[in-house]
Amino acid sequence: MLLRQWRITGLLAMAGLALWLLFAGPSKLLGIDAGQAGMVLLITAAWGALYVIHRLPRGELEKAASPGEWKALIGTAFMLAVIAYFLSKVHVFQDGAIWNNPGARAVGRNLAMLLSAWVVLSGVIASRWKGAVEEDERDREIASRASGWGRGALVFCIIGIAVMLGFSSPEKLQWATPLMIANLLIFALMWGCLAEYAASVVYYRRDRQV
Amino acid sequence: MSGTPVRNHIRRLRFEQGEMTQEALAQACGVTRQTIIALEAGRYAPSLELAFRIAHAFGVGIEVVFQWEKP
Repeated sequence: MLLRQWRITGLLAMAGLALWLLFAGPSKLLGIDAGQAGMVLLITAAWGALYVIHRLPRGELEKAASPGEWKALIGTAFMLAVIAYFLSKVHVFQDGAIWNNPGARAVGRNLAMLLSAWVVLSGVIASRWKGAVEEDERDREIASRASGWGRGALVFCIIGIAVMLGFSSPEKLQWATPLMIANLLIFALMWGCLAEYAASVVYYRRDRQV
Repeated sequence: MSGTPVRNHIRRLRFEQGEMTQEALAQACGVTRQTIIALEAGRYAPSLELAFRIAHAFGVGIEVVFQWEKP
């Protein structure tokens, strides 16, 4: 039990260091690209998490949360990481089209890796519930309520972008290259997803309160 | 989902059924254990179908398990 707690603490510390290197760290650390080092650390932490989850007895996973709640928690954590990374690197999308922009390609590659890690982690967790009930009427009701929040956040963000683009003078919109606008729309989608997952987590937590 | 006028006696009935676990009841009704926890805590009102399934699992009528309290 103590060993497992240490493993989880170690993994969280590794993930925290990885995120710091990715978002806020210096571009070079001891001659090594900090972004790449952060990504390697993050993937190592994700694989470590996979190992710990794989070894965890199913009863303990179930005691902690239902499959739907696990999915919502992982979705929230990954969307937060993806959005934070995206916002910290958004300036690279001003530097021209993606085929002439190695910075934007690197960010896109890292985002794809984060999303792949999310899919694999969700898949491993789902495999632990094989043969058991993964979703019931309460999960569907929560998903329906949460999707309302997601849709609201998406609409709010799209209207914000439209108002900004429509009502700003051309001089103030020099940063708004086609690639940047395309990425703002992707950001709006991610923001909607984050709102949906976060709302699900809140609804699940509220259901537990006596 | 925060509080519901549908009161239930699931916890008492579980104990009367030889301390049936939440997990066993969840399996009998085809839901997750967390849904049984939410029901017992009065945080969730079940659909009519789930209410019938729960009553059937205890071998009693639906009115024995659930009561509607006028808010």
